[in-house]
Amino acid sequence: MTSATHIAVAVEALVVSFGNFKALDELFFTAAYGEVRGVIGPNGAGKTTLLDVLTGRSSASSGRVTLDGELDLTRMNEVQLALSGIGRKFQKPSVFEALTVWENLDLACRRHRRSLLREVFSTAEAKDSEAVATVLERIGLQRHRNARAATLSHGQKQWLEIGMVLAQEPKVLLLDEPVAGMSDDETIETAALVRSLRGPHRAIVVVEHDMEFVEQIADSVTVMHEGKTLFEGSMQNARADHRVLDVYLGR
Amino acid sequence: MGSGERGPAATAVLIAILLVLVPLMGLHLLGSVGLSVYLVNVVGQVMCFALLAMSVDLMWGGAGVLSLGHGLFFAIGGYLSAMHLLRTAFAKTHVLPDFLQFMGQTRFPAYWHLFDSLPLTLLAILLIPGVVAFVFGFVSFRSRVNGVYFSIITQALTYTAMLLMFRNDTGFGGNNGMTGFHAVAGLPVGGAGAAVLLTTLSTLAVLVALVGGRLLITTRFGRMLVAIRDDEPRLRFLGYDTLWLKLSAWCLSAMVAAVAGALYVPQVGIINPSLLDPSLSLEIAVWVAVGGRGGFYGAIIGAVLVNVVKFWLSAAAPSLWPFVLSLLVLLVVLVLPNGLTDLSNRSRSWMADLGRGLRDSGRRRPERGAG
Repeated sequence: MTSATHIAVAVEALVVSFGNFKALDELFFTAAYGEVRGVIGPNGAGKTTLLDVLTGRSSASSGRVTLDGELDLTRMNEVQLALSGIGRKFQKPSVFEALTVWENLDLACRRHRRSLLREVFSTAEAKDSEAVATVLERIGLQRHRNARAATLSHGQKQWLEIGMVLAQEPKVLLLDEPVAGMSDDETIETAALVRSLRGPHRAIVVVEHDMEFVEQIADSVTVMHEGKTLFEGSMQNARADHRVLDVYLGR
Repeated sequence: MGSGERGPAATAVLIAILLVLVPLMGLHLLGSVGLSVYLVNVVGQVMCFALLAMSVDLMWGGAGVLSLGHGLFFAIGGYLSAMHLLRTAFAKTHVLPDFLQFMGQTRFPAYWHLFDSLPLTLLAILLIPGVVAFVFGFVSFRSRVNGVYFSIITQALTYTAMLLMFRNDTGFGGNNGMTGFHAVAGLPVGGAGAAVLLTTLSTLAVLVALVGGRLLITTRFGRMLVAIRDDEPRLRFLGYDTLWLKLSAWCLSAMVAAVAGALYVPQVGIINPSLLDPSLSLEIAVWVAVGGRGGFYGAIIGAVLVNVVKFWLSAAAPSLWPFVLSLLVLLVVLVLPNGLTDLSNRSRSWMADLGRGLRDSGRRRPERGAG
């Protein structure tokens, strides 16, 4: 990979409309490899809609979304998107409650990305268990590896889901409000976890309400408002920007 | 939930019971030991229902997809088996079945000759329901029809099939169905030999399905099904095309139901569209709900229990049956959401409470020992 292809995912003039309502209105957005990008904005700004388009849950009315500058993401369904390297952690913890922590991660860790049939009949090799063990250590749930996911606390479920998305080895890691409903201690741990996930082959996008949290983890922020990009830059500058202040503090 | 831990023990007990059952029926042939022909026949029919319940449990307990139309696959298996039996009867008697005579036919339609062969019939019993399930499942699962909507469509499908089979023109005996079977594997239908053979086969089928099913749910495929039950979108966002996973389980389930139907029909000696009545398909769900979803042993216990009561009541007090069934449904819905599995869970926690109470009473609170 050359230094010229830093941008992982690029969104150009993206419009998503539900009837007459435009959830995203000519949105421009990029996320680069190696960075943690915070996406903030008031309710209804279109943050989650952006993630929905990136993961195939909503479809674009017009505009372009590309991965690595070439792959057109607007034509793919959620399965194809997941396999091409987009991973998403949902706002509400979504884990397989009847399975153990290990089994959850093992399922997320695809052994044969090309063929579902081979996946079904695959047997675990040493490298597969190693990959699962690595993720398990990352999210700090080693002691709970054989516990059913249903028995985990809310925060632990959030971490497990982050671990599942991590096990996908995504190029673009989307985190939708990862600290929602977490205690202060858990929030601090999660911030450290997200920071530790930064890597040269990974772009991390965090959608969050909590400005403090975003300030701790994000290298740069995108402020969205009414489906458009209002501001892009550092969190410090965002706080000083009068348009951002207007949106957050009321006009 | 939690069916996993007790699963192996319950399964082992069931396997033991089934293994004892088989020679018990065989003994009858030797003398007066063992069960009467009537009872052997009842056991055989109940075993077919147990197999049918297991096929529903594979989808419902396994993948969280409730079918209210498995009577369709059961009936397809039954009709195919009946066609083979009628062809073999014809080879002996050279008398055309009544329903074909009524329709003014002088011989069997050409494709019936395929059913002269037992292997071809067996193949058809797996293939035809498999194809029907594939087409129906593909269309439904691809359009993301889930939950109650899927259940309602399966019910509608069975109902449509019933209306179709009621017509004489459809060519399968219409309202009266098919009967007049002569022999099963050379043994006269209704005799002790045939009864023992069919009941043994049915019991073995349940045994094989139980062992196979238990193995299946411990594989990666089984875990994928559980993942679909718990959170299907999550699995899709992990890059699994759940359509094919659900579809393969659905087709397998349909084939198992068809095998149950194929074994059932020679035991009752008749098949007619009443098997396609939505009430049978609904009742299967009741069996599974009563026994407890997931893990297959609940489905077997539920099917056996409900049907034994039904057999007994239909002789003793037939008019009571709908009330008993309704009571069972209410009991499960209100008190035991996971069927009898809950009962064993609860008795465990009661025992644990009692144990704790007794220990505590020794120390400080004697009154807790009672409860």
